Amino acid sequence: MTDQLGALTTIFTEFYYWVTVVLMFLIHVGFCMYEVGASRYKHHQHTLMKNTMLIPLVTVTWFLFGWWIYWAFPTGPGLAPSIMNESTALITDDSAFSATWYKATSDLMAVNLGDHISGVFWAAFLLFSWTAASIVSGAIIERITTFAFGILAIAIGSVFWTIDAAWGWHFDGWMLKLLGYHDAYASGVIHAIAGGFALGVLMVLGPRIGKFSSSGEPRNIGPRNPWLVTIGLFLIYTGFWGFYAACNIPIFDLGPEYGMEGISYWTATNIYVTPTTLSGITFNFLMSLSGGLLAGYWIAKGDPFWTYSSGLAGIICASAGNDLYHPIQAMIIGMIGVVISYKLHYWVERKFKIDDAVGAVAVHGYAGFIGLVICGFVLNGYPSSGYSVGAMWDGTTYATINPLGQFLGALIMFVVLGLIPGYVIAKVLHGMGKLRIPRDVEIAGLDYEIMETAKKDERAVSSATR
Amino acid sequence: MATVTNWIDHLNKPAEEVAGAVYPGAGSSEGLLVILAIILWVGWHVLTAKSESDELDRLSRKRHGPNDHKSNITDW
Repeated sequence: MTDQLGALTTIFTEFYYWVTVVLMFLIHVGFCMYEVGASRYKHHQHTLMKNTMLIPLVTVTWFLFGWWIYWAFPTGPGLAPSIMNESTALITDDSAFSATWYKATSDLMAVNLGDHISGVFWAAFLLFSWTAASIVSGAIIERITTFAFGILAIAIGSVFWTIDAAWGWHFDGWMLKLLGYHDAYASGVIHAIAGGFALGVLMVLGPRIGKFSSSGEPRNIGPRNPWLVTIGLFLIYTGFWGFYAACNIPIFDLGPEYGMEGISYWTATNIYVTPTTLSGITFNFLMSLSGGLLAGYWIAKGDPFWTYSSGLAGIICASAGNDLYHPIQAMIIGMIGVVISYKLHYWVERKFKIDDAVGAVAVHGYAGFIGLVICGFVLNGYPSSGYSVGAMWDGTTYATINPLGQFLGALIMFVVLGLIPGYVIAKVLHGMGKLRIPRDVEIAGLDYEIMETAKKDERAVSSATR
Repeated sequence: MATVTNWIDHLNKPAEEVAGAVYPGAGSSEGLLVILAIILWVGWHVLTAKSESDELDRLSRKRHGPNDHKSNITDW
């Protein structure tokens, strides 16, 4: 950095992402509060620690290999050629955005005076990873072992979501080129995959004891502390706003980027490096939140738990196209997503005896899936990338956004990279006898010994004379 | 171990030499550090998995009822 303008742009971008990371930390704070509020008293501390420990578990693996996967896998491999080196192999050469720079042994993965962006960009994506794992965490509370959750958190947080991000979120991703996939704020890339993964785990894990009557009727195990749930969800909304900011490039000159000679056009862009504005996405974020809250309040008859969750589901449903939608479109899409997700949640619960303790599969998985499909219709014909627009299935250029591509993309996210891996890994853990806590522990409460010790301490202190 | 011993000397170098890694052991220690991280990582999983299994087995043997925990709720 030897000139002032270049230094200002670099430091501004570095600081911008740094701030988004701090904001996104609130997502995790919110998830911790939300899960503790939703769990029963006798499981509180283990529920909290399970969700807390995913922070180091995912962070270390994200450093060791998760970030590398994101930069290596945009081509599939073998599905569409990279626009950087025209190869369909893993991107590990010396090109500008190669995974080779993001190996754990790379000197860019540390304090490096020649690189002001890698660390904060790494952290922004890491916070997305935590979110993916946290979504799974809520669905499976009160009956999974911390060991099993750790393995599952690493799988979704540092492997499967980063593969889907390479495929459908990277500017060079094969899903953009072949399918015209568009998912600006991660309806599918984070939410549908995590919801699908959680559903796969739940299919193996089974319901909490007492959730279903002997005739199969579901019983409500409501949140123990609705106020903690409320604050938790408000913090998730706040962090989600930071997430929206993190999915953008704040300042970029698209003229030279697109190869337009003599043209300079500075703008914010979405993650695909196509133009949008922070102003526009702010309209859409709040209108889709409002649509979700309105629909949730109506369909859940004012139930606070579902109303707050529906606000989140509204944003998630509209997120795929919130870089381009009109605010009223965003609101209506949020409303549609909430109604369908809510109905699906109870239908799946009754039909398949799936006990999703916090509605995570519905709020994230179904709403994300629906949002991708709706996006294919509403944004039909828009370019999925600014680089070069071509025919669907062509592979060397970028297909336009279309309903079929979005539907296939939703299936890849929810089923192929979400549900199937979640189911298979849970099956393996179940086979090892490591998935579920013993029945007697579930009945007594995971925190039984902690509470028993605390009570002894209390008695000892209260009987003390000096 | 120190990669930079004098900032004035360092910043006076040609730009391409200034812009680089400055952490201790730059260029020689990265592989070793990653191996160390992996060992710590695997070790942590082994230790915590064992202690969790022991804890669950111990509690499971006591066969507490679903409401027994209520007698342990503290007032502080």
